[in-house]
Amino acid sequence: MFGDTLDPTLLLLGLATLAALVAGVGAVPLIGREQPPPRLMGWANALAAGLMLGAAYALVAAGVAPPAPGAAGAALGVLYVMFTHRATGTDLLELNRVEHPDAVYPYRVLMMHVLHSASEGLAIGVAMVVSVPFGVFMVLAIAVHNMPEATVLCAILRGRGLTLFQASGLAVAVRMSQVLLAVATFAVLGAAPAMVPLALGFAVGALVYLVMAELLPESYEEAGHQSIALVAIVAMMMVVLLRGMAG
Amino acid sequence: MIEHPVVLVFLYALATALATGLGALPFVVVRSVSERVVAYANAIAAGLMLGASFGLVVEGTSFGSSETVVGAGAGVLFILVTQKLLEGRDIEFADIRGAGARRMLLTVVVMTVHSFAEGVAVGVSFGGGITLAAIITVAIAVHNVPEGLAISAVLRPRGVSVAGCAGWSIFSSLPQPLMAVPAFLFVEAFRTALPYGIGFAAGAMVFMVLVELLPEAFGQARRSTVAMLVSLTMIGMIFFQQYL
Repeated sequence: MFGDTLDPTLLLLGLATLAALVAGVGAVPLIGREQPPPRLMGWANALAAGLMLGAAYALVAAGVAPPAPGAAGAALGVLYVMFTHRATGTDLLELNRVEHPDAVYPYRVLMMHVLHSASEGLAIGVAMVVSVPFGVFMVLAIAVHNMPEATVLCAILRGRGLTLFQASGLAVAVRMSQVLLAVATFAVLGAAPAMVPLALGFAVGALVYLVMAELLPESYEEAGHQSIALVAIVAMMMVVLLRGMAG
Repeated sequence: MIEHPVVLVFLYALATALATGLGALPFVVVRSVSERVVAYANAIAAGLMLGASFGLVVEGTSFGSSETVVGAGAGVLFILVTQKLLEGRDIEFADIRGAGARRMLLTVVVMTVHSFAEGVAVGVSFGGGITLAAIITVAIAVHNVPEGLAISAVLRPRGVSVAGCAGWSIFSSLPQPLMAVPAFLFVEAFRTALPYGIGFAAGAMVFMVLVELLPEAFGQARRSTVAMLVSLTMIGMIFFQQYL
């Protein structure tokens, strides 16, 4: 639709930037609260998790990756995120602590968000290579998911003494990696189309592992199992429905 | 009589159901049943069920997206109602009691219910002509093995024998031959219902993963190990299904 009039790289840059800016809205649920109730953190994580799983599903359903390179890429994606968790010391860290005695804690969490967003940027870039409407669909799903993720991050940052405005700005800033990777992936894959199946698989593996390692584990402790499962699955169903409507 | 297509469809689908029992085989080797093994087995079952659901939803949405999502909503409701019914009751499953028994019963119920939808899918695909029947049968039989593995991964660490695991795995697939025959005979009617049925199966499985298997796994083992097992088995399952 937009692709006919606008260069797809520019379109991608614009939409991915908007998606990152939307993260700032994630601070809104925290207005007027000293500390968010744990349930809110849990549901925000579950919402983000469901949207990411839906995005991973959409990438699989795109059906453009032959099984073997797709699966190899996916395994690489899982191993890559595992490695970055290990390297940044976030693999054993509690990720949603509003108060944490360790001064390094918020930097670790910020680093984790930068890396997390980078993988999502890759997913956006791959989707845009598959087709422009699919890319727009993926940006939209990731943009919506950026909000609840930013809510959790803002709650942690506020616990470290930042104002809500500063926290919201930082939540946008860590998502610059999303914009960067989206555009870079699109450019590189445009030049090397043979890499598309591998990159698509990589995005699927990374997204699924991020959901399983970063978002879901603590959400079950913050809210009831049933409510977490419901929020996540309804978000997944929304993505499937949206994908059906987008064609 | 054996040449009659209806008998053939039934026999083919029965063969695929029996293949599900093979999923119990790895547990002939795995003997330890510590808490962590239960968590790992849950994670593997979760990955297999998530991967299977992705495949189902791809198929379902090819018939209709909104129908599939409506079906999925019904699948979620089904699990919620079943959980409500089981709540506060002293459940006994294969001589085991308590929370473990509830989880085992739910898993067997979910996998059995999802076989109804798969049986319909088998019958409808045979409806396109019996010539491809042998290939379809082998494909579905092989595809059923990891589903038996998913069931055995929940049952075996909680004390069910390997033979018991194989038996329950086969039981969970019995709806396949039962549903394949009417779906084959009334292809048009069943084709309309198919996306709802597939959505129902996927919704029930994903919700089961999210509400029972994952929280238990995260509660008993390291986050990164559980996440790795879920992700890699899910990728394996998707790869496996795409190849068939």
